[in-house]
Amino acid sequence: MRRSGRNSLLALGDKYRIYILVVVVFAFMSLLAPKFFNVFNFKTILNAIAMNATVAIGFTVVMICGQLDLSIGTVITFAGVLTLGLQPILGFAGSIAVAVAGGALVGLFNGLLVSKAKINSFIVTLGTMTILQGSIYQFSGGNSISVTTDQAFAISDFLGKNLLPLVTPRILITLVLVVIVEFLLRRTRAGRNFYIVGGSRTTAWLAGIATDRYLVAAFMLSGVMAAIGGVVSVLVSTAATLKLGENSLMYVISATIIGGTAMSGGKGGVLQSIVAILSLEMLYTGIILFGLGNEVKIFFAGLILAYVVLYEAYAVYRHDKTLGQRPELMNELAERKPAAQGR
Amino acid sequence: MSEPVSGCALEMRHVSKRFPGTIAVDDVSFEVRAGEVHALVGENGAGKSTLMKMLAGSFDDYTGEIAIGGQLALLHSPTLAKRHGIGMIYQELSLARPISITENLLAGRLPRRGPFLDKARARALAKELLASVGLDLDPSLPIEDISQHGAQLVEIAKVLGNKPTILVMDEPTSALSHEEVERLFCIIGDLKGRGIAIVYISHHLPEIFRIADRVTVMRDGKKIATTPVAEVSREEIVQMMVGRSVKEFYRREERSIGEVRFRVGGLSRLGFFHGVRFEARRGEILGICGLSGAGRTELAKVLTGLDRADEGSIELDGKPVRGSTMADFLEQGISYLTEDRKTEGLAVRLPVDDNVLSAIVDRLSLAGIFSKARGKPRVDRLIGELSIYPPDPSRTVGNLSGGNQQKVLLAKWLASEPKVLILDEPTRGVDIGAKMTIHASIEKLAREGCTVLLISSDLPELVGLCDRVMIMRKGHFIREMQYSECSEESLLLAANGDTGRGAACVDPEGRPHG
Amino acid sequence: MGEPSRGGSDARALRTGSFSSIFNTVGVYAIAILFLALGAVLQLTGVIGNFLSPMNMLNIVDAVALVGIVAVGMAFVTYSGNFADMSVPTTMGFTGYICIELLRYGFGVALVGALAVGLLVGVLNGFVVGKFKANPIIWTLAVNYVTMGVIRLVWVNKQIYPDMVGSQQHAVSLFDGIYRLRFFNLIGLPLVILLVLVVLGQFVLTRTSFGVKLKLTGSSPRAARLSGIAVERVVMLSFVLASFTATIAGLAVTSLSRVGAWYNGAGYDFKAVTAIVIGGMTLAGGRGNIFGVLGGSLIIGILNNIMTLFGIGTFSQDMIRGAIFIIVVGTNALSLRRLGRDDA
Repeated sequence: MRRSGRNSLLALGDKYRIYILVVVVFAFMSLLAPKFFNVFNFKTILNAIAMNATVAIGFTVVMICGQLDLSIGTVITFAGVLTLGLQPILGFAGSIAVAVAGGALVGLFNGLLVSKAKINSFIVTLGTMTILQGSIYQFSGGNSISVTTDQAFAISDFLGKNLLPLVTPRILITLVLVVIVEFLLRRTRAGRNFYIVGGSRTTAWLAGIATDRYLVAAFMLSGVMAAIGGVVSVLVSTAATLKLGENSLMYVISATIIGGTAMSGGKGGVLQSIVAILSLEMLYTGIILFGLGNEVKIFFAGLILAYVVLYEAYAVYRHDKTLGQRPELMNELAERKPAAQGR
Repeated sequence: MSEPVSGCALEMRHVSKRFPGTIAVDDVSFEVRAGEVHALVGENGAGKSTLMKMLAGSFDDYTGEIAIGGQLALLHSPTLAKRHGIGMIYQELSLARPISITENLLAGRLPRRGPFLDKARARALAKELLASVGLDLDPSLPIEDISQHGAQLVEIAKVLGNKPTILVMDEPTSALSHEEVERLFCIIGDLKGRGIAIVYISHHLPEIFRIADRVTVMRDGKKIATTPVAEVSREEIVQMMVGRSVKEFYRREERSIGEVRFRVGGLSRLGFFHGVRFEARRGEILGICGLSGAGRTELAKVLTGLDRADEGSIELDGKPVRGSTMADFLEQGISYLTEDRKTEGLAVRLPVDDNVLSAIVDRLSLAGIFSKARGKPRVDRLIGELSIYPPDPSRTVGNLSGGNQQKVLLAKWLASEPKVLILDEPTRGVDIGAKMTIHASIEKLAREGCTVLLISSDLPELVGLCDRVMIMRKGHFIREMQYSECSEESLLLAANGDTGRGAACVDPEGRPHG
Repeated sequence: MGEPSRGGSDARALRTGSFSSIFNTVGVYAIAILFLALGAVLQLTGVIGNFLSPMNMLNIVDAVALVGIVAVGMAFVTYSGNFADMSVPTTMGFTGYICIELLRYGFGVALVGALAVGLLVGVLNGFVVGKFKANPIIWTLAVNYVTMGVIRLVWVNKQIYPDMVGSQQHAVSLFDGIYRLRFFNLIGLPLVILLVLVVLGQFVLTRTSFGVKLKLTGSSPRAARLSGIAVERVVMLSFVLASFTATIAGLAVTSLSRVGAWYNGAGYDFKAVTAIVIGGMTLAGGRGNIFGVLGGSLIIGILNNIMTLFGIGTFSQDMIRGAIFIIVVGTNALSLRRLGRDDA
């Protein structure tokens, strides 16, 4: 633990650094990358992140609770495939409902195993990820699904219509969800309880908080958000490829950690994660605009994740080394050192 | 049954707690009045912590009665204890580190306006609670950004938020500096004024004499006496804590002590201990005695290569110890029996033989091939020597009793045939029989020429086994005592030091108040 | 301090004490035989066709070999308490690419080059997880992505073929032979390699000082460190072994498909972990052995085969595998929790 006051600037950094980062990235790209600073590009960026941003909402809450949900990528694809695949039978309303319910169910399953059976969250979600992977292929027969009815195109057009220069209904949906969840996290007792559960399950339990219920709720939220992300995405593109959610896990984990939410839990926020996704996407877009290919982008994305994971692990490593120091002895030694050297 | 004494916030009448094989608390009765600071002292194993756990509601099977504010209370669960107005302040804090002070203080009951949080009121409430312990911090800071001392005060504030009538504090000062202790005492003074009864559990006699009104001494699970602090002297308390010296328990055999073999000079580790210097001889058992927080284990970790010293030298047999890892030190003959056998010393899921051989894996291997058979005679011999029960090398260690587990741990380090063996609390939580076996083994080891460093809070053990004892206090070696000078009383007094503390109450800013 | 309660838990504990290793392994093979019997019964009752034919048996064996090779190496990572190595899929693909690219310089060079690259990945993983204690699943996942990125960067989604890269026909046919070489016209090279690896692996795990240190590290990393064991080095070596076997499997798969492709290794991480877990090795570390892992691979292979003959699609098989994984891990967790231990 550090002394009060000395590190408050650094502490500020943890929470707000992503906002500084996004400004820096934006400025850098605007000034140096060709064709970056225009409305069309911004709109492309916003649309590109809409899906992952939605997913990040739920994923961030899971991470705030100190857990991980590795199944989000497959839930996205699963929901997308269900939406279009079931549309002929149930209509859009029905298939969307099934897709979202499916996401909730997966979340319920994950949450129960983590809280009641006390299995590590990454083991559990690794398992559900694999099960879903198989289900996706089974359901779709290995092919992409598309729906080409007039209704489908109408929905797609609607979601892509410009309400304001940069805002389409699709982006609006994400925005609204972000605002709601962030608000609930910051301003309701239940929202703060997620943080306490993540900060220390014992503290939460001692305070009378039903930790199991919160864990299940977090995973269900993650499942639902991933599902919504997939649903909206396929509604816009009217096609569900089996690679829909392929890269999402990597993006969302990196962004969430960069945004200031730690894997250890207890801190962070949804808005921060979204801003981080925005920063990353601007970075990637800039890379493409610089003329470097898609491959460079993927390489960078992986590198960023690796760096972020390493950074967090290293920070814990450094901290553990100084655990247990007595403050007054530190001063004593510092005072004596010059005298000792004179010996 | 005695009648409830009026004005009593807490009364324990003939309470007892049994565990399989021992009686931890044996027919103890005492009472604490409102507005009183009542100290509870006793050695390790005297029953203080069990008594404290009883108050915390950890047991539902104690016998006897506990009355709070005159009313009978069944403290069968932590929630019940809290509801009856008991607040516990432990050494390990129960705060969530990444969470803000406000949310830790008001966890689960953050004030609301309608469905949403009332942040202004939360902040105000938090500031109020902080003020009650004399802290003027920004309550939106996370716990991990404030000092250890601040966090402890926050913990107190949190407990106070439940409006307890009885506060139980367990060794609150072991990690604090002078000024911090003073501030804590001021707060305690405040709490007294508010009529809260405080049970103050501690080893530190000078503090008890400063802060407590009465003191109850426990020994071997029984209450020895309760007396006002003003009417008793330090020596008398120590005598009560220690009782008739059990020196007869230890028959000291003659041991020839050889030349100096282990020499430590000017050893310091920033923030943990400073300027430690001593010599130890062949065949000698050197004790290291000190209260909790003195830095003994930290010193041991440096002496065995686990941590690195910032200054100073360690010499074995005239040559400086080479290398920087524990394996290097181990190879050169320095072994360390760790304090916590369950998490640091043994792999409890593995069998006895795996554990006994776990420190000498390389020694038993030829070109990388490990031969368990080569180690088997050693294992069998040690099982016999230490009377490990059941004498089955394939038995999982986790299923042995505490005493036998400790014997396995000792066997492991005996198997390493060290030149210097550092023992850290080798008989903690161990029954009498195992204790005697372990002591006999330690003596045998010294007789065979090993240099033994014995870190222990068990005073009879130190007195009975050691040829000399170094007293450690707050990171320094302050004194060396020969066998002839050692008695439990003298050791305890020395460990408590002689530093008088007479500073007035000061607030965080250094301004006197109260 | 109270003493642990005796009586019932002691009896149970005796069962799960030292006998458990042998018990478990025998149990695993018993289940494998059970499945074989199941297949036979199903065939005899006409539900499925041709289970017991030599051709089919060979199919099973070939499939088992690949998963088994990966599993044997990854088992060391699991045994050390670090769950699994998720970078295996891309390591397999990556080393396949490298090998093909280097074929023009001769088979030997290609082999060495591929192995070197694989070992490097293992060293990297071992270092970060061993020294900095990063979450092994997340870190190896990250490495998986980065390697994927490298593959995409260098070969840009292209697939490369052994015979299109330069002229050394001899090298190419040797490479082909990795998967296709058969002893006595029956036993493929991968199977031989698997058996050798299993024997070696079991030996290393149970009879070397490294294996003992690994067991201690997996059972209690703190106690291991405080016994003077260089835990970081032990963990590093376990990851190197995992990458090593991943490389071998990667070469075999690439040889089989005759093309260097980034997806060659897809799914092997999970298949290997499932085989390991079914084979009796708990994810907490320090328990289980390589024979059990082989048994687990066998069970998966036989099960897959039966499902295929049954007409269950490959994707459903994935689902079932995932479900089995969760069930096995879950029951492990619950049963050990009842015994009062913190495993799974």
